[in-house]
Amino acid sequence: MTVDDSQDSPVAHMRLSVNGVHRDIEVPDDEALVTSLRKLGFTSVRAACGIGMCGTCTVQVDGMVASSCLLLTRQVSGCELVTSEGLVEDGALSEVQQAFLDHRAYQCSFCIPGMVLTVDACLRSHPSATVSDVREYLSGNLCRCGTYPSILEAVHALVAARTAGGDVR
Amino acid sequence: MTRFVEPLTIEEACSALAADPWGAKALAGGTALVLMMRQGLVNPKTLVSLGALQHLRGIEAEDGFIRIGARTTLNEVAVSPIVSALSPSLAAACSLVGNIRIRNLATLGGNLAEADYASDPPSVLVGMDATCIVQGPSAQRIVPVGELITGFYSTSLAPDEIITAVLVPVAGDAHRRSSYKKYVSRSSEDRPCVGVAVMADFNAGVVAHLSVVVGAVAEVPQRFDELVTPAIGRPLDQQTVSEIAGAYAAAIDPMEDARGSAWYRRQVTEVFIRRALEEVASP
Amino acid sequence: MTSINMTPQPTGAVGVDHPMQDAVDRVVGSIRFTIDHEVGGMAHARVIRSPFPHARLTGIDVKGALALPGVLAVLTGEDIVGDERIPNPCFGVARRDQWPLAVGKVRYAGDPVALVVADTERHADAAAIAVRVDCDELPYVVDAAEAAREGAPVIHEEWPRNECGSWALHHGDVEEGFAQADRIVESVYTSPSANPVPLEPHVAVAQWNDQLLQVWSSTQWPSIVRRELAHMFGLAEHLVEVRTYPLGGGFGAKGQVKIEPLVASAARIVGVPVRLELDRDEVFLTVAKHPATIRVKSGVKRDGTFVARDMELVYAAGAYAVTSPSGTGNALVRAPGPYRIPNIRITSQAYYTNTVPGGSFRGAFTNQVAFAYESHVDEIASELGMDPMMLRMKNLLRDGDTYATGEAMHDVHFEELVVNVAEGIGWDEAQPPMAPGRLRAKGLAVILKSTPTPSRSEARVEIGGDGHVTVYSSAVDMGQGASSTLAQLAAEFLGVRYADVRVVDPDTSTTPFDTMTAGSRTTFSSGSAIRQACAALIEAIGELGADQLGLSPAELAHDEGHVVAAMDGSHRRSYGDVIVAAGLSSLSREGVFQSESGGAFKDPLDVKGMASIHWHQGAAAVEIEVDIETGRVIVLRCHGASWAGRIVNPTRVRQQNEGNIIFGIGPALFEQLEMESGQVINPNMSDYMIPSILDVPEHMTSTALVSSEADAELHGVGEMTIPAVAPAIANAVFRATGVRIRDLPLTAERVLRGLRSVEGKVR
Repeated sequence: MTVDDSQDSPVAHMRLSVNGVHRDIEVPDDEALVTSLRKLGFTSVRAACGIGMCGTCTVQVDGMVASSCLLLTRQVSGCELVTSEGLVEDGALSEVQQAFLDHRAYQCSFCIPGMVLTVDACLRSHPSATVSDVREYLSGNLCRCGTYPSILEAVHALVAARTAGGDVR
Repeated sequence: MTRFVEPLTIEEACSALAADPWGAKALAGGTALVLMMRQGLVNPKTLVSLGALQHLRGIEAEDGFIRIGARTTLNEVAVSPIVSALSPSLAAACSLVGNIRIRNLATLGGNLAEADYASDPPSVLVGMDATCIVQGPSAQRIVPVGELITGFYSTSLAPDEIITAVLVPVAGDAHRRSSYKKYVSRSSEDRPCVGVAVMADFNAGVVAHLSVVVGAVAEVPQRFDELVTPAIGRPLDQQTVSEIAGAYAAAIDPMEDARGSAWYRRQVTEVFIRRALEEVASP
Repeated sequence: MTSINMTPQPTGAVGVDHPMQDAVDRVVGSIRFTIDHEVGGMAHARVIRSPFPHARLTGIDVKGALALPGVLAVLTGEDIVGDERIPNPCFGVARRDQWPLAVGKVRYAGDPVALVVADTERHADAAAIAVRVDCDELPYVVDAAEAAREGAPVIHEEWPRNECGSWALHHGDVEEGFAQADRIVESVYTSPSANPVPLEPHVAVAQWNDQLLQVWSSTQWPSIVRRELAHMFGLAEHLVEVRTYPLGGGFGAKGQVKIEPLVASAARIVGVPVRLELDRDEVFLTVAKHPATIRVKSGVKRDGTFVARDMELVYAAGAYAVTSPSGTGNALVRAPGPYRIPNIRITSQAYYTNTVPGGSFRGAFTNQVAFAYESHVDEIASELGMDPMMLRMKNLLRDGDTYATGEAMHDVHFEELVVNVAEGIGWDEAQPPMAPGRLRAKGLAVILKSTPTPSRSEARVEIGGDGHVTVYSSAVDMGQGASSTLAQLAAEFLGVRYADVRVVDPDTSTTPFDTMTAGSRTTFSSGSAIRQACAALIEAIGELGADQLGLSPAELAHDEGHVVAAMDGSHRRSYGDVIVAAGLSSLSREGVFQSESGGAFKDPLDVKGMASIHWHQGAAAVEIEVDIETGRVIVLRCHGASWAGRIVNPTRVRQQNEGNIIFGIGPALFEQLEMESGQVINPNMSDYMIPSILDVPEHMTSTALVSSEADAELHGVGEMTIPAVAPAIANAVFRATGVRIRDLPLTAERVLRGLRSVEGKVR
């Protein structure tokens, strides 16, 4: 929801880098990134609360998770954006996505892409993250179905696999 | 109608703000400003993005203080080795703000400019006698954080001024202990019911300096130096701790909301001041 | 983490832990929700809502809004009522007392008053701000007891005493029962309003093709939405097509009929497809959990035997009836709890109030009574100096016992559930040494819930020439995996592979009637319909196959999707080949499940008879820790259990049990809708908090109890543990601190105030 007068905001031509691919888009100055991404077809990015609390709009911006409902698209020119779709490589799920799949870490799944991106970002930026660290990192990703235990099982497996010698891809 | 401009220098930024004092707003991380726009609380005609002012980002230890660029994100402050070593309660407070997505975008300067009464860093910064460097179109001034925040989401910033850095004095020779306690009364992700920032400098086992600041209970961080004078020159013993905690609970005039009534806020203010003081007092 | 008793070994697909069929789409996020649906040329709508709780509409000025760019129309209630294409504008599943846009007056702060339709969301938002609504405020009432009083503001003229549901139940002789009692315990319990908070908001798109209405909606009740829309527009039902995608959460918020009438009306009037997506604050203003005040009085013998129970249930219905008239009847029959009580009197009433309309909330019309009666049982235990678990074991219903409705209970396992949850958290374990300033204790609760009765589920199962099976059902997948569960059931009943079965999304033009996806009924009722359809299919295939193979049907057997000669396994032919050989492209059969009403609710003031074809059963035990200086309660450990009968999918049952516990912690400890001056002041996810991952108890386990019989009844588990969570926590808080809190949520402040008064120190 935007607050606006009768006049439309100026529109800029932007070239966004999403999942390693440049996408051209016309963006009103006050458009939120979640809106732009959904217009480009990235429907894994969702909006549910409008205030950055729930995490369904999570995207990675230069490797860091951010609420795309609170970011203006104009703020991210030149940034590398990654959505859940972008974690899939050559048709194969990423390690984090595979762990979520293996441990049934989904129910209605509205929150799951945001959860996956957050776990992915945490493990990438914290080489020795423990399950507890990842759990703290996930504190701002809400799930109403209550899938948290299955998500934590997936995290357990990821941390254990890493301790056993793998890197998170 | 909102337009977005991204000046390349501080001067340009201040000029853009000065050109439309009512309608232009500075945009740093955006987590506060964009949120307020979505909620219909503000309707800026021009967003002056500070995103290109990357030299305002960074943390340095200088002589006697830490200089934190205003564009430094809260997460960067939270994980900074310099801040963790020299001002651990500031790192702690920044690590507790909102969630990781907020901390990745929100800036320390933006946090102060927003003056959210329930935010964690301001209380710690007030307790540390931190100051802001404020840049206007023609002049620069230094403002103590305690004077910057004037009320509910209000600061003493002029419409054409931006914060460029935050200076946090460090302990020097004193043996400094600090603690930040954030108490949430509802879910773990709630805004705080009470936030308590405590900083004590000890000299030969007695208190040389003590600050206690309570946040999230009123419009501005609550600091009453006169209430801590009984502690100066003495060991921080249980009785002193209880006296200070009790005096603060009586002195504050707390707000009421879903997180707690005024009565409740007084109760937990006393509890957390006591716990924070006990923590800094213990060896 | 989970123990499941599984005897005998699962056969076929039921009991096999298959992942959901669209699991990869869910993880990656390529699954489509209604919020992703677009129709070419669709316009966007924005609702203008009343800021006043009760007011007469004196004028709506749309001129300013109409002049803004991109605006196609600004509609008011008068536009809808005056349109001859909308002959019956009022809707509602119990009473048709709700207009798509208010007419004459507004009845709650948030009541839709006008609708902007524009070419973009942005233009719609801008125009909405320009709409001017003039009202004369009227006196308002937000409390049900106040609304019931003589002289209270009248919210709907046809109901001058604001009556919105009135039921009574009498069993035995309650006065005689109290006379026999050695002790009498009486308390009043309250539950506030709350919101189910599905993450995907309400969203709908409506499109007209001449006389055909097509609606895509995030709804749990597609068949009923169709029925209501058909009535509204005076159409035969087949001219209304309602489609749903899997929901991004429902939890009752998307039950009954919500924004569909408005969107369909707008599309009709404006002549283009219209999409409406509610913002989060609007979701808070669209549906609410019913606030309730419940008085419980029990008479007991000194040995703990329950002899009498008198209860008064009072619910605030909100501004429109929705399900209150019938829901209060459901509450009535759930109110005593799973106990053997020979003398009972219960009254259950709902009253219109100028607040957000009450609707369903996971565990609907069960959470409030369960909090009351399970807290109450512990209060009795405390009065008598008895262990709360022992008191329950003495009085819990067993097979053959007569329940409050006069019906004989069958297949009940309440004692088993209590034992299970008690063991699950170590009820008898010695208390470890406590940290200073902390108190710990355990509490438990056990509940029952009726299944919506009567209700109906139809299903059609089709086998194609390639042997693939398609299931047509209007059951909605809202995260519970309904589609995949129904696929497992069809695979089981047909003896085919799960991977060869698919379940289509509900589309009322092709999927047959289903009352609702709610009340934990789907596995049982849709499953029953599918079983019937599959049985008919097997019979039909058997006849065709026998004919083709030159055998009599009695000589034919079925084996994993093939017909074979029973005697020696020869003449093996796949179902697909049988169908093709018969010259058909596919073969389908239908099944119906219709639960009898049994007439229990025929006389609202004397409810008796079979109130539910079977009773859902659940329990929870918690260990909590209280910080006595702040009053904050943390749930350290929780074990939940439900009676599943027979498990279709072990992981999904576990996730329902666990999800229930987490969902239940919110309203127990911190969720409540706050009102001030008749307005909701926390309609957002910062001021209204739902549990985060850090609020999950460190130790959480669950059990799904199953029958030892291979063909046991399938019981839904979608809501079975939630109602037990709040009273279990309240009971634990009492055992830890001596503070009995009878009002939800159990906030830290309430606990601290209780601690202070228990200590005799109130500063």
